[in-house]
Amino acid sequence: MTALTMPARPDEDDARLRPLPWRRMAGVTWRQHRVTLVSVAVLLGGLAAWLWITGTTVHHAYAAAIACHPASSAACQGQASTFNGTWDVMGYAAVLLQLVPALIGAFAGALVLGRELETGTFRFAWTQGFGRWRWALAKLVALAVVLIAATGAFSILSSWSYQPYLAAGNQARGLYGNSPLVTVFSLRAVAFPAWTLAAFTISALAGMLIRRVVPAIVATLAVYAGLAIAAAGLLREHYLTPVVTSSPNVPGTAWLLGQSWTKDGRFAFAGNPPMDLVNRFCNFSQSPGGKGGGPGGGPASSVNPFAQCLAPHGYTMWTSYQPASRFWPFQWIEGGWLLALSALLIAATIWLVHRRAA
Amino acid sequence: MTAATLPARPDSGDSALRPLPWRRMAGVTWRQHRFALAAVAALLGALAVWLWRIGTSMHQAYAAAVACRPASSGACRGLVNAFDGMNNHMVSAASPGGVFLQLVPVLIGAFAGAPVLARELETGTFRYAWTQGFGRWRWALAKLVLLGVVLAAATGAVGVLVSWYYDPYFAAGNQSLGLSRIPPFVTLFSLRGIAFPAWTLAAFVIGALAGMLIRRVVPAIVATLAVYAGLAVAAGGFLREHYLTPLVTTSPNVPGTAWIISQWWTKDGRFAFAPDPPLSLLNQFCSALQTGKGGKPSFGTFAQCLAPHGYTQWNSYQPASRFWPFQWIEGGWLLALSALLLAATIWLVRRRAA
Repeated sequence: MTALTMPARPDEDDARLRPLPWRRMAGVTWRQHRVTLVSVAVLLGGLAAWLWITGTTVHHAYAAAIACHPASSAACQGQASTFNGTWDVMGYAAVLLQLVPALIGAFAGALVLGRELETGTFRFAWTQGFGRWRWALAKLVALAVVLIAATGAFSILSSWSYQPYLAAGNQARGLYGNSPLVTVFSLRAVAFPAWTLAAFTISALAGMLIRRVVPAIVATLAVYAGLAIAAAGLLREHYLTPVVTSSPNVPGTAWLLGQSWTKDGRFAFAGNPPMDLVNRFCNFSQSPGGKGGGPGGGPASSVNPFAQCLAPHGYTMWTSYQPASRFWPFQWIEGGWLLALSALLIAATIWLVHRRAA
Repeated sequence: MTAATLPARPDSGDSALRPLPWRRMAGVTWRQHRFALAAVAALLGALAVWLWRIGTSMHQAYAAAVACRPASSGACRGLVNAFDGMNNHMVSAASPGGVFLQLVPVLIGAFAGAPVLARELETGTFRYAWTQGFGRWRWALAKLVLLGVVLAAATGAVGVLVSWYYDPYFAAGNQSLGLSRIPPFVTLFSLRGIAFPAWTLAAFVIGALAGMLIRRVVPAIVATLAVYAGLAVAAGGFLREHYLTPLVTTSPNVPGTAWIISQWWTKDGRFAFAPDPPLSLLNQFCSALQTGKGGKPSFGTFAQCLAPHGYTQWNSYQPASRFWPFQWIEGGWLLALSALLLAATIWLVRRRAA
């Protein structure tokens, strides 16, 4: 560990008179965490270069597929399949990129307090005139701001790279489309830096509680995984009340949440129709295309085959969904609660630092 | 860190006479790494429970869909849709479940492997551990081999479970019933059979060597993650397709489970273009062709309209029947790599001035 440079102050009295050296903590933070910060810069820089190159390819393929006329010709189908083929790699990358906030946050955050406590250097650092809670707060805030700025810039680039898959009207042209509220939601705009901040503060608190770096990293990865799964699987769909419609043509970019059926104004059943009903009313001679909308598990086909055969018998299908236009409200809601959680975790960490007997 | 319990032996003269306490190293290894082993057991146990639960319901849905007669009835379509609808989390390499499963070997390997030597070196306890009568290279070898065997056994058991989980997707005849069927190669390849424990072992040994070289735990973990990512990308993207010479065919009907390596076209026995026909050619010959809305043109689509004009399409592919040879090849070279890295680590331990 690099030696610390704050001068010790034996005369307590005049420490009050001098301005507190908040600015000089920037230098200390940099010197203690420069390897971490350089690693983060290398990781994000490498990923950004890759995203820039592949994103340019995706944009070219999309522009070619959109400009092609007539859309039903074989040449245009070839262009469309070239564009759809890019999702094979980009969809894979979209899932892997969700690890970036967790990895950055866990490794950067656990070192801030966990390493000082594990190696014993906190005895020196916390007895400086600056005061130990100010010491911890200055380091945490400075690192958090830097991480937010870096990942925020990165999320602008990833938004740009994934833009073609999220455009409305892709389905009409046979192009692969995805709801902006599903897979790449957490890679774009406000959510990406907010998740990084949350991972960082979770890790800082874990380091303070466990007082050892590696177990704190492992604990952070576990907690973050649980939080991310809960947010994506359970919380996010409830940010705003879903829109409910009986029209069978839900826009392709919508995020479908569920289906229920009514008969004569009363609830009949939810999800897929029961077997006996399907056997009685639906006679599919040909397969009605039960496959999903695109490669990589995209949204399922928006026109339900059962709706067509059950409608004449008085059954109405109700679809609840989140329209794609709610992207920005959802981003601000997710960013907001993650920021509140992070502030709470930082406050808890500082309180623990304040309280702990040195 | 728990204190090591081997008694120091000041009289090195009679240590050659007594049997070396290899067995007692098991106790030392357990005491030093019980937290890592307990964490691995918790992770793999949770994973196994989850795989078992969703796997059971998926196998039931598959059995119901296959047993349904007649296959074209609405009820059977519903069962098929129910099975295909379960794909969203795990079925493809790009799905969240598939990707996160692939992280399990590297997480276990990096977090278990890097501390074995790096923690002793970082905290200075190597000065005590390596001066025991047992000898420092035997000390390191015993710990690494023991942990490697335990990790390989545990992940091997999970690998069997993962294989069982994915079984319905690899059954022949799925396509004729409208059920999802995926090629057994490509990325899920590394999650089944012997590839899963082999990758875990490789990550573990990379972690141990990185720890010996860097001598600090956290940088060694980060280095392991980076090296493993590079190795996995290289193996999946470049190496695996060359394990056996691919089959080459001009038939437009390549089996749906095959792994297509490349496509090219010839005219009059000479190479024309690869992989897709140029637009000018399509506009000239295939302008009448109308393909279905929303679907990719199948591999045969262009072949149909270009064949009368003398163009022949060639596909090179790996058939699905090569799954087990590929598994043994991948397991073999990973095991050889692990043995090599282990030998390098032990050599470094021997050479280093204590």
